[in-house]
Amino acid sequence: MAGQVLSAPTHLVAPSRFSVLWGARRILALLVTRDLKVKFSDSVLGYLWSILDPLMLAGVYWFVFTKLMTRQVGDTPYIVFLLCAMLPWQWANGSMRASMRALSKDAKLVRSTNLPREIWVLRTVGSKAIEFLLSVPVIVFFAVVTHAHLSWYVVFAPLAFLIQSLLLVGIGLLLAPLAILYGDVERLINAVMRLLFYLSPVIYGTQDVQHRLGHAVARIYILNPFAGIFDLYRTAFFPDQWAGWRAVAVSAVIAVVTFVAGAVVFRRLEGAVLKEI
Amino acid sequence: MGAPVIEAQNLGIYFKRNRRRHRRLRDMFASEEPPGVITPAAARGKRKPRTGGFWALKDVSFTVGQGEAVGLVGANGQGKSTLLKLIAGVLIPDAGGIAVTGGVAPLIEVTGGFEGDLTARDNIWLTAGLHGLSRRAINERFDEIVDFAEVGDFLDTPFRHFSSGMKVRLGFSVITTLDEPIVLVDEVLAVGDRAFREKCYGRMNEMLSGGKTLFLVSHSEGDLRRFCTRGLYLNAGALVTDGSLDDALGQYQEDADRRTRK
Repeated sequence: MAGQVLSAPTHLVAPSRFSVLWGARRILALLVTRDLKVKFSDSVLGYLWSILDPLMLAGVYWFVFTKLMTRQVGDTPYIVFLLCAMLPWQWANGSMRASMRALSKDAKLVRSTNLPREIWVLRTVGSKAIEFLLSVPVIVFFAVVTHAHLSWYVVFAPLAFLIQSLLLVGIGLLLAPLAILYGDVERLINAVMRLLFYLSPVIYGTQDVQHRLGHAVARIYILNPFAGIFDLYRTAFFPDQWAGWRAVAVSAVIAVVTFVAGAVVFRRLEGAVLKEI
Repeated sequence: MGAPVIEAQNLGIYFKRNRRRHRRLRDMFASEEPPGVITPAAARGKRKPRTGGFWALKDVSFTVGQGEAVGLVGANGQGKSTLLKLIAGVLIPDAGGIAVTGGVAPLIEVTGGFEGDLTARDNIWLTAGLHGLSRRAINERFDEIVDFAEVGDFLDTPFRHFSSGMKVRLGFSVITTLDEPIVLVDEVLAVGDRAFREKCYGRMNEMLSGGKTLFLVSHSEGDLRRFCTRGLYLNAGALVTDGSLDDALGQYQEDADRRTRK
């Protein structure tokens, strides 16, 4: 009975977090729609702006690796090889950075509405996910231009999308409250993101790691959950480059663990965060 | 008094004075129990109670029934706004619990939590939407909200360019149009001009006769007496008086007099 003093009276116990969030799905849709409207209707070039960044980055690597140097990693057409991972990377990068501001960007709204607070993270990851989906035609365009061959492995793309969503929501739930409570988190993560780009199979493939550095290194390498995810997207065009299911399984496990950890930590820090913003 | 809609039980919330600074990483998992709450870890003497904070509210218990109009009185910094935030569910208590039946329409940040960069139009849509109003309902009420707030010419002006009077008018207008059965109003009536205040009075009377529950924070005795029959008086985070508005105002006056005499 002693514990009861600290908690709400039993008949007032809140329904599970999931059902509350499910009840707020219309509001989530409203927030995501608004984000996209702001992004795409503000300027005529809205859509172009959103794909410009990955496109330029891909262009630079394509130029350096195919025109200036002899490419020894990846596959041809290299631009398609790059984009298959560059666009999901853009989603991951954008969503992790934005998650750290998910609660502070619209602090006024967070402070004045009693929504399940996870919604602000879901909204951030969700908006970036839709931007990613809207950028897929870019890959299609380059695939057609370069006559890349689409394999039946493309059916696994939704699975990769699912694992990545779960992972990004988990990371977002961790980063959003931590960034508010600890000022250094944002700087730290920004540095980590730079490193993570080169540690993920974007400009090269996981198979290249295996061939050049051996199986032992590759086994450690796939502990980066983005390895399995990006690989899986890429099999749509480059089945020969695929390192297999092991990396995907590792990614899925890490995604689930991160998601659970994120949900727990978020709830734990929620009270302290609300006092800060 | 109708069925209870707000039940607070030994409600307490603790704030640190040195916010953000000196936060240790291990605090993350060693949940930050404020002193006074005996956790198993503290009982074993593993963690020294942290100091440098204060209880903004402590041991506050009360019940409010449906349709009641409650006036919340107390000097500045005694926990009035914090209590409203706990009722609105935008702060989480460190001790005790609070149960609220039905949604809450909070007008606690004078401007209703509107975003400065968005236009008035977008703010109306967003706030109403976040409080669960459907697209159709917002469409139906949009003109009414705008008329009441008298901001028709500035619908596409970013909210931050609004005068403080306009901000309050729009905030009040949107929040009181929501369907939520509980309405919290914090020090808003003082900001509007006389004509608008009259309109607010009318709107609040409508809400009360419609069976809504009202929580009013104000330093104006006139405003409080106009609507509230019940009074809660907070001093130093403790609920000193829970009774009629007269009792609460009387006690408040008495304490204030004693302080000035010192």
